[in-house]
Amino acid sequence: MNILITSASKRLARHLAAELDAEHDVRLTDREDAPGAQSFTLCDLNHDEATNDLVRGIDVVVHYGELDSSLSVSGQLDDAMRCTYNLLWAASEEKIPRLIYLNSLSVMGRHDESYAVTERWKPAPTTETSDLGYHLGEFVCREFARENKIDVISLRLGELVWDHGEASSSALYPEDAVQAVQKALIADVSDGYAGSSSNWNVFHIQSAVPNARFLTAAAEQGLGYQPSPR
Amino acid sequence: MNVLILGANGQLGPHVIKALENDGHTLRLTDINDPPDTPHEYFKLDAGDLDGVIAAAEGMDTIINLSVLRPHRQIAFDVNARGTYNAMAAAVHHGIKRVINTGPHFTIAGPTYENNDHLIGPDVPTQSGTLLYAITKSLGQEVCRIFTENHDIHVLTLLFYNFWFPDDHSADGHDVTPFSVTWQDSAEAFRPALSIDLEELPSKCETFFIFADMPHQKFTNEKAKRILGWQPTNTLAHRWTKM
Repeated sequence: MNILITSASKRLARHLAAELDAEHDVRLTDREDAPGAQSFTLCDLNHDEATNDLVRGIDVVVHYGELDSSLSVSGQLDDAMRCTYNLLWAASEEKIPRLIYLNSLSVMGRHDESYAVTERWKPAPTTETSDLGYHLGEFVCREFARENKIDVISLRLGELVWDHGEASSSALYPEDAVQAVQKALIADVSDGYAGSSSNWNVFHIQSAVPNARFLTAAAEQGLGYQPSPR
Repeated sequence: MNVLILGANGQLGPHVIKALENDGHTLRLTDINDPPDTPHEYFKLDAGDLDGVIAAAEGMDTIINLSVLRPHRQIAFDVNARGTYNAMAAAVHHGIKRVINTGPHFTIAGPTYENNDHLIGPDVPTQSGTLLYAITKSLGQEVCRIFTENHDIHVLTLLFYNFWFPDDHSADGHDVTPFSVTWQDSAEAFRPALSIDLEELPSKCETFFIFADMPHQKFTNEKAKRILGWQPTNTLAHRWTKM
């Protein structure tokens, strides 16, 4: 399978590329140079032929919604909205069948921690640029899926735990994140996780830590996601 | 009331200014274009300039966002989506409690509604579709909603589509887009949007369809009449009545 992963400068993108490389032809891209990234293509994700060239022949685009906090607020929002739109536009034109949007469970963060929050709940992001960016990127994806231009799976990821760092109640260990993406690459979600046909599917992904904040039953049922026991 | 109008020198702006200036409001106008002949304070400003919008909003009580750009991919996002974010960020920065946002009806009711349904109201879940103009304005509206959920701020969004002059008879008897209004009636909707007690609104983020009383029943303007007390004076009957 030919896979394109965006945000090559981000650690998760590199980690995914390394883990998926054994079974797939993986390419990385970013709007800025990403030294050391494998099979890397620099692309501004503008509305031009370069973005079409980037996605041509790809089977699945993995679009990581984490923003570059070194950019201005305007620059980050431009990435989240316009660049996501351009990527999806090009992917639709090139008839790419699926895009996996890597969102964050932080967009559900304003719900009370005592609530059993699932994918059915309305997103509740803050106006912090990172939260807002994740949410607005997903908003763009949803409209392309609604018009049947492309099949989109949005994985709302928990808080990544790198290098034995402290795990929060929404912790996501890298190996579980990789597994979720691997499942989403091949999952048959044509019937939708809720049982109805849909090009638009959202799954909450976190690790099985004690007192896990978010339920992952939908991902387990719809993707076959099985977080490692902790 | 001190009112900042972003995009004041577009097509709708002059009509809104005319409707508001006799109500005693102090208007500060901005637009990316050169200033018109106006007695009001005027800043030449790109709505996509966050710092510029924040600076322009200082001392204001309300922000009216009329800024719009339709065809150009980069600028449409800069103005319609980020420009609305800038208006909201400026409101939060200065403690401004009321923002009046604008856009086309398909900011909310895109083709998935319009192609299928009737009596479409402004409180349906957003389905803009991917048309550039629609989705960029819809993103701006989503930003407004999220700001109202997180801050002490109210947003009234007035949605329009086709505008007409009352004496334009160029296409009489050929029907008309069932979301049409005269420029004058559209501008009148801003007066109650400015004056309504915010506590009387059902929520901190309310959307209103602004169009003439028309018999098509494709959409409904009932909410604008019920809550804002807005009443269109021209039905545009000469357009949807056979000659």
